Amino acid sequence: MIVRLTDVELAYGRDWSLSGIDLEIPRGDFLAIVGPNGSGKTTILRAILGIHSPKRGEIWWDKGRRFGYVPQRQYIDEIYPLTAFDVALMGRYSLIGPLSRPSRKDRDVTLESLDHVGVRELADRAYRNLSGGQKQRVLIARALAGEPDVLVLDEPTNDMDISSEASTMRLISHLHEAHKMTVIMVSHLLNVVADYARTIVLLSEGKLITGPAEQVLSTDSLRSVYSEPVDVLHVSGRRVIVAGGNND
Amino acid sequence: MISAFHDPFMRSALVASLAVGIVCAYLGVHVVLRRVVFVGATLAQVSAAGIGLALLLGLNPWPVSIALMLVGVAIFSLRSADRRVTRESLIGVGYVVASALAVLFVAKSAQGEAHLLDMLSGNILTVTSRQIIAMAVVAVVVGALHLGFGKQFLFTGLDPDMARTAGFKAGLWDLFFFLTLGVTIVFAIQIAGALLVFAFLVAPAVTALLITEKLSRAYIAAIIAAVVATVAGLHLSFLPALDLPSGPAIVVVLFTILALVAAWTRVR
Repeated sequence: MIVRLTDVELAYGRDWSLSGIDLEIPRGDFLAIVGPNGSGKTTILRAILGIHSPKRGEIWWDKGRRFGYVPQRQYIDEIYPLTAFDVALMGRYSLIGPLSRPSRKDRDVTLESLDHVGVRELADRAYRNLSGGQKQRVLIARALAGEPDVLVLDEPTNDMDISSEASTMRLISHLHEAHKMTVIMVSHLLNVVADYARTIVLLSEGKLITGPAEQVLSTDSLRSVYSEPVDVLHVSGRRVIVAGGNND
Repeated sequence: MISAFHDPFMRSALVASLAVGIVCAYLGVHVVLRRVVFVGATLAQVSAAGIGLALLLGLNPWPVSIALMLVGVAIFSLRSADRRVTRESLIGVGYVVASALAVLFVAKSAQGEAHLLDMLSGNILTVTSRQIIAMAVVAVVVGALHLGFGKQFLFTGLDPDMARTAGFKAGLWDLFFFLTLGVTIVFAIQIAGALLVFAFLVAPAVTALLITEKLSRAYIAAIIAAVVATVAGLHLSFLPALDLPSGPAIVVVLFTILALVAAWTRVR
């Protein structure tokens, strides 16, 4: 087990709260937190990371876990004159002593991480001049540079074209399968995670439904959550969720 | 140009201005990148209010100025959870309150309003050896702290959430950063005045960030801009034909360099 939330209540500001959160994330899982914008997905993610304190309830973490956090791209202020390598190197900072400078090993691991996500050739390019997909890969490389066992991603495919979206999801899936890495990711798009996640946490109108992807992403289950008619189709071996059709 | 610095008081002014300019230009890069430019002006005004309070009460200005600065740093380093009150708003409110208090304290002090102009525009030509030594010590200590903890200041400034996830106490590092900034401003303002200190915090950093895509080069470029402006500004102020107040002369050169660099980057 990586993390367990027991009867947790989360609040944000004065007007928003989500209560009754019970969630267990086993090692090796690929868990997706899905729901519309403003439903509290990122707040749950921040609670899992330990950077948002619950109002009530208990959160337990495995002492040996090491999170590699990939925030939303727009949270990285592009005013900073940093190369892709500089940004990725920050993933090593927690492993470098307080007064020490990055060692040869830190630089090598960072380059390997950039290589791993397919952007080593961009190492010396200004981060702010990269495309959305390239920036996302650099941020994933930054998380990997810290040698994590849990990869935590917040809306990793936001504002991407379909090609970059598919390529980013394939990369995350590869890290999960080939490197036995636990993945926790947030997305407001069910279709993005439908074919990759093993476990789904579905947030809608203050309700939280958790279960295996096949169970949560079934037509019956989704129709009980959404007021819109929803269908789950299988196209070319992929699960596709379509809203707004007939109820029959 | 060398002849301008033959007189001992001009050499003292040069050394003092360089110490203030170099450390403020370096810190200014952080200030501009963190998008808290106005915090420099506000802490300068808070420090000025401290000096005003000390004048009013007949106390040593440094401890009072430092005490008020610490209160300002504690407030401005907070990241408000309430989305209706941003850090920028706190800094703005702090600026006007501190400015008003500085005027009120000085107006009611025995030394009168002559001090107000010195606090605002500074009088670098009357700097004492003691002030120079104090500023040099502050510059060395702040430089050493930033050399040792540069990655923490950078990481928590750029991405506090990731930094917290990685085990860094982002709030404490923010406080520590603003503390180094506040202490620098307290000592610098008593030598150079609020106007020049704020100019050193903003103009060299903006100039540097216009011409480089690497952070390490930005620090160096900012320091070079500050050094060039200090030497040229002091020299211009000394020319008999001009006979300008030194602080504002340096400020004009700083912004001339910025304007030239901005124009060059547009036509490049």
